[in-house]
Amino acid sequence: MIVFENVEYVYPNGFKALNGINLEVNSGEVVALMGENGAGKTTLLKHLNGLLKPTSGRVLIDGVDTRHSTVASLSRKVGIVFQNAEDMFFSPTIQEEIEFALNNFHFPGDVIKKRVDWALKFMELEEYREKSPFLLSGGEKKRLALAIILAWSPDIVALDEPTVGQDMLQKEKMIQIIRQANQQGKTIIISSHDVEFIAELKPRIILMSKGRIVRDGPSEEVLTDIPVLQECRLLPPQIVSLTSKLDFLGLKPKLARPEEVANEIARRVRHLVNYS
Amino acid sequence: MREVNLEINEGEFVILAGRSGCGKSTLLRCFNGLIPHFYDGEMIGKVEVCGLDTRQHPPYILSQYAGMVFQNPDNQLFALTVEADIAFALENLSFPRDEIKKRVNQALEIMGIEELRDKSTLELSGGQKQKVAIASILAMHPKILLLDEPTSSLDPFSAKQLIDTIIDLNEKHRITILIAEHRLEMLLPYASRIIIIDNGRVVLDGNPREILEKHDVIPYGVSVPRIVKVVTHLKKTLNNSLIPWAPLSVEEFVDIIRRWEKK
Amino acid sequence: MSTILRGLQFYPGKTVIHKLDPRVKLVISLLLMATAALYLEVTIISIVIVIEALLSIVAKVFSRWARTVYGAAPLIILVFIANFLFKLSMPGQSLSFQSIYESLQLAYRLVAFLASFSIFFLTTTPEELGMALTKMKVPYMYTFAFISAIRFTPILAEELQSIVDAQKSRGLELEKGNIITRLRRYIPILVPLMVNVLRRSYELAEAIEVKCFGAKKNRTYLKELKMTTKDWITLSASIVLFTVAICIRYFSRISIP
Repeated sequence: MIVFENVEYVYPNGFKALNGINLEVNSGEVVALMGENGAGKTTLLKHLNGLLKPTSGRVLIDGVDTRHSTVASLSRKVGIVFQNAEDMFFSPTIQEEIEFALNNFHFPGDVIKKRVDWALKFMELEEYREKSPFLLSGGEKKRLALAIILAWSPDIVALDEPTVGQDMLQKEKMIQIIRQANQQGKTIIISSHDVEFIAELKPRIILMSKGRIVRDGPSEEVLTDIPVLQECRLLPPQIVSLTSKLDFLGLKPKLARPEEVANEIARRVRHLVNYS
Repeated sequence: MREVNLEINEGEFVILAGRSGCGKSTLLRCFNGLIPHFYDGEMIGKVEVCGLDTRQHPPYILSQYAGMVFQNPDNQLFALTVEADIAFALENLSFPRDEIKKRVNQALEIMGIEELRDKSTLELSGGQKQKVAIASILAMHPKILLLDEPTSSLDPFSAKQLIDTIIDLNEKHRITILIAEHRLEMLLPYASRIIIIDNGRVVLDGNPREILEKHDVIPYGVSVPRIVKVVTHLKKTLNNSLIPWAPLSVEEFVDIIRRWEKK
Repeated sequence: MSTILRGLQFYPGKTVIHKLDPRVKLVISLLLMATAALYLEVTIISIVIVIEALLSIVAKVFSRWARTVYGAAPLIILVFIANFLFKLSMPGQSLSFQSIYESLQLAYRLVAFLASFSIFFLTTTPEELGMALTKMKVPYMYTFAFISAIRFTPILAEELQSIVDAQKSRGLELEKGNIITRLRRYIPILVPLMVNVLRRSYELAEAIEVKCFGAKKNRTYLKELKMTTKDWITLSASIVLFTVAICIRYFSRISIP
């Protein structure tokens, strides 16, 4: 679905943000891009819909070379939800805000109506249909941003730091939405440095540092590789940190649920207690 | 805000927690006079900060007792160089030049950013900007520091650095800290108090260990560190009396188990 | 356009010129411009430009200065054409070598103006300019507005790019269509930008309140400009040279090419 072949990108000011990216993402995968600020995550995301085109190498979206396509045509397939998506609102009502992209993509009128209805329902914004997007609360604005992108049903949904400034409940909702969208067959790419959030989602993880891919594998492997995480200036999830530091009890760094870890510790502690 | 009654003592390190929109930010603004002077609306009741009634004193007086640092690093830096920005508030208050120089040097030192003195504010990273923002408030020598989600826009590494610096301010310089935050794991082990707000009301107020141990805080939108979840399960499996403790960080947890092992 | 802007950017520097009091630098630039205004003769204008080039070499900003001049070429050509056409439209004028030459002189003089402008900005930081304004008793409100404009323009530029990216990602195509449809397509860019600016102003107002802006009428300053001996010498020399230029213009009978 998504192929990066030896992609390099140099910004006009000379900064080389991507330094040889080779990547393949299959349809239906959930992938997390992780790394510190400046590692190249956002630059990579912008290559998905042609906002940025490689200065060397090529990016193929569903077989189409992005250098030979417009952003508008690629966006039909790749929906990107940017970090401050709330800053793109301009319509008098939420309904019109969602209709904007659908009109740009030349959807027929009756389809637009259905899509808007569905998006409002899916993101629980129906009651605000006629409301001004500027009057929504922070959390509602984030939901609207997602509704806008999901309305045109792109095959690939990319999210840039979706959990910044969110509280626990909002993050859990985000995980649900991502899972649901994935179940509907969408390929999901998330750029995030929220380790706990990613640990909960357990996607494939692509770890980036200084424009290169440093690790690419399942969460269980990447999030337990503490040296590599530290190299990329990421803190490991608390559970991993805990299990690795309890090595004297015989535990190994593991991405497990709190109950499992508790049971493990309990077993070994009982062992100790029985010996004393 | 609804019927809030609070007393905070000098030297405390207080976390304000709760879901987005619960009133944490509003509460913070009651302590430096932004409420009632900067915002419209009605305030009933009295707020006293360092003995001053906030209704009777303007923000520029109260800000010298309770300084505030905001979420967005860019929207609170006004000058073109770091040094000029730290001096900004003092210049506005007509401090004499020598005093300004002294305090700017102090602030740079306390925050550990002397090397940034002549740098342009446009070149700094997010974490650096927040440190400069704090330094520029510290220059006024406030007794209290009010922080409204200061690490929101920072990556975890920079966030930890910033929080460590804030903890230092409390520990070494005895500055009272009131910090509203969602990212609690780094703060909980150190804080002396957590106040959870829901719908404008204070619903829980006390020592973080006790609160997290005895109450379910998830409905209030407060993230419970995974460590605490492990401990809760551990207490169910093993005998409760074996676990009188409530560690809030990985280090504390490991420490306790080590001591256990030795015994 | 961007070459001109880059030429006008501020860079801190350590040369003798950079270290001069900004007020002196301002006066030098103005005197050079005034000298150019006094003369149309190509030799004098060339001397002025050469002086500016020398200054830029001493200040180690020659390549950037040259780039400004180069970048202004379209503007210069435009002025030349406009002036020439204007001359032609006057009654009694005809297409002659003289009129072409006069228009060229005017355009050439413009180069001297722009070049002198650029020298000033290449060797003076906005902070220094702010300090100069304060020392010249400009009310702080205006200096602060100026500094804020410099401080926040890059941020707004980033914000603008961010909005354009987001809307393009929603299928907005800005290049298509005629003038009228194109203008309408800018609404999804301009409205969010304005909203952003307004929201930002609100946050800035809070932050500035908390930093006691406007608390006292007699604001003090960490740094203040003081003229040094070097400054006085440079200033006097410049004034003397300028006086010589005036004298040559008005009192001598030498004919200058």
